[in-house]
Amino acid sequence: MSEFSKALSISTSGLQAQASRLRHLSENISNADTPGYRRKMIPFDTRMQNGVSQVEVGRMTLDDRPLERVFDPAHPMADATGHYEGSNVELLIELADAREAQRSYEANLKMFEQARQMSSGLMQLLRR
Amino acid sequence: MFQGLTVFETAYAMAVHAGQKQAVVAQNVANADTPGYVARDLPSFKDIYAPAESSRVVARATREGHMHGHTSDARTLMETDNSFASPDGNSVSIDAEMLRATDAKRQHDRSLAIYRSALSVLRSSLGRQ
Repeated sequence: MSEFSKALSISTSGLQAQASRLRHLSENISNADTPGYRRKMIPFDTRMQNGVSQVEVGRMTLDDRPLERVFDPAHPMADATGHYEGSNVELLIELADAREAQRSYEANLKMFEQARQMSSGLMQLLRR
Repeated sequence: MFQGLTVFETAYAMAVHAGQKQAVVAQNVANADTPGYVARDLPSFKDIYAPAESSRVVARATREGHMHGHTSDARTLMETDNSFASPDGNSVSIDAEMLRATDAKRQHDRSLAIYRSALSVLRSSLGRQ
């Protein structure tokens, strides 16, 4: 495995990890108003493969913070006190996280593009 | 005459080093959000390159690792300064990595330019264009 293909495979693993993070974030955001929905979180981990440490997305876990109690007596799921349990998603956190995921995705993409440019520059030597 | 031309060997070693550096930077960037990951770096080309034995007084290496440099296994990874690690223990700084990546790209371009120009000198010495 040459250095460039190593670099490309590492960048690809980073892109996949960030994309899967973004997918979970959008699930969280779209379910922000679903009663009883718990926020999904995915851990990032390093995995050695072929002598390079790639990024790996671990098992998804649910956030076990208490659900938000919303007062709405007219809601079909309201209990005797007029409250029902909403989701524990906080939009601000999700949006900040999404922005970070985007930034990291772009950084990985730039690294991928650069490794590609370097290897095609090498190929230009043969072309004459 | 055409064996062991130092300029080609140097340009080759420089390009290899730039490629390794690019791989290390890509690894750091990919792990920019992994908790506990410590950023790594390669020593600079200037520090690790020792010219091949053909161009200087030869000292024979009797054991692997006696003479570093051209044995192509110069990638001793070192950890970067991690005093700015974030609370989850990750010490990757995207901006520093971008700087290193640009360095690697420029080094690679430079080595290829040297290689190409030496190649054209060689070609014209053979009377070809």
